[in-house]
Amino acid sequence: MFSRGNPVPSGLPEGITIMNPQKKTTVVLFGLTVVFLLLAIDFFTSKSTAVPSYPPIPPVDKSFLSTATWRKSYADLVKNKEDLSDFDCYGCHEKGKAPPLRFDAKQNLIVPEEHKDIVMGHGSHGRNNNCFNCHNENNLELLSARDGKEIKFADSPQLCGSCHGPTYRDWEAGAHGRTSGYWDRSKGPIDRKLCVNCHDPHSPHFPGRQPAPGPHPLRAPAVAAAPESEPHH
Amino acid sequence: MTRRSFLRNSAVFATGIAALTASLRPLLDITDFPSAAQFMQKYYKELTPEEMAKVLNRIENEVEHQYGIRPHVRDYKPMDGVEYVYCLNLTRCIGCRKCVHACVAENNQSRDPEIQYIRVLRMPHGSLVIDNAEHNYAPDKVPGKGYFYMPVQCQQCKNPPCVKVCPVHATWQETDGITVVDYNWCIGCRYCEAACPYWARRFNFAKPNIPKDQLNPEMSYLGNRPRSRGVMEKCHFCIQRTRAGRYPACVEVCPAGARKFGNILDPESEVSYILKTKRVFIQLKEEMGTSPRFFYYFDV
Repeated sequence: MFSRGNPVPSGLPEGITIMNPQKKTTVVLFGLTVVFLLLAIDFFTSKSTAVPSYPPIPPVDKSFLSTATWRKSYADLVKNKEDLSDFDCYGCHEKGKAPPLRFDAKQNLIVPEEHKDIVMGHGSHGRNNNCFNCHNENNLELLSARDGKEIKFADSPQLCGSCHGPTYRDWEAGAHGRTSGYWDRSKGPIDRKLCVNCHDPHSPHFPGRQPAPGPHPLRAPAVAAAPESEPHH
Repeated sequence: MTRRSFLRNSAVFATGIAALTASLRPLLDITDFPSAAQFMQKYYKELTPEEMAKVLNRIENEVEHQYGIRPHVRDYKPMDGVEYVYCLNLTRCIGCRKCVHACVAENNQSRDPEIQYIRVLRMPHGSLVIDNAEHNYAPDKVPGKGYFYMPVQCQQCKNPPCVKVCPVHATWQETDGITVVDYNWCIGCRYCEAACPYWARRFNFAKPNIPKDQLNPEMSYLGNRPRSRGVMEKCHFCIQRTRAGRYPACVEVCPAGARKFGNILDPESEVSYILKTKRVFIQLKEEMGTSPRFFYYFDV
């Protein structure tokens, strides 16, 4: 096709030919048609436009979205009209008579069978194991601070604050513990949580919990994840 | 023209047209063309209140059409005398990632493909080297011994690099300190994503996918209304909650009380107390000069 062009005009190097314009148009159109045909064939046969597939991401467990606190305080139980039998001390105990405490040879409190759901673990030193450090010996329906001041169950933060001063100060300012509701007090109420909403007073250290799923890796990891180990220092 | 050349030329022409049409087939896969009203919409800051009302109504219709739920879309304006600050207590954070998922649920992020605004970094005690951070940790129980956790999200910088690089001013800083994105103005160039030193911006590479029963119908124009493919999104301090006076979703879900939010211009707020009294607080990558409104602090 190319060889049928005009003869080389004088002055041009040998081997170069010039086509007449009509031929040129035909050649260009022919070329374009071939290109588009190839493209079309490619689009119809290949799957290159499909999004690469990856395993579906499972929906996250609803429990991770819950704003409920770790525990329920006495005030919550009263508010929700829930079972208060745990606080009915004089259903079993005798009024006006301090219950006796028993200790083993290592001076650890022996938790009586009736209270075996209580884990005594307030403080890592293991010395804060006397029930009447916080409970009122003479009236079990009240708490008592170190100076003997009687405190109601609903006002328990005062009791915690009698030892944990800086934390109590932070809590009063809203810096310790969760605050929810309205930051703008003119628009609505703030919802403060009590110490016992999160901490078990008998064993206040925060227990570990299962973390929510992490970011989805999109592809299955090439190698199995290394076992979780403690970092080196 | 001879009969032969006519036939030949028409055959070539027909083949050519057929080939061209066939090669444009991938265009058929595009289903999310913007509507005329969407395409012609004015810039957020130029919209009059009447035009804004129309836009909000149109968005409500679009969401109802797509999800079958009539949402409540509002355009919340910043309040006077309010500048938001976030404080995060690194002593308290246990790395449970509840904030990540509460954020996704509140702000209508795509579930699959997954978009999350918060990334929780786990780092060994004794250093704050981000290079040592791990965010895919998955032990049975957190917190792990010897680690601390550092959730990172948009730091709402006072000097935001993402705003500087946006070629179309689709992202800007509001007077209350929140850097927002107009999803209808964003062209998806991802310059802001590249400029952000905190990996806080997320791009919708594909059409977002939110289960209908999980859509949060309380929406705001600059906040959690559903996004479309090809636009950028980021944490906006739950604008639909905070500008109505409420705490962000991540604050309300934190089981450890590690997250604190409030108005720094109010001397009585928690954040004012924290910045005044806590011994140590850091701004992540403060050497970048971005001056974040997001502070990390320690109790002890």
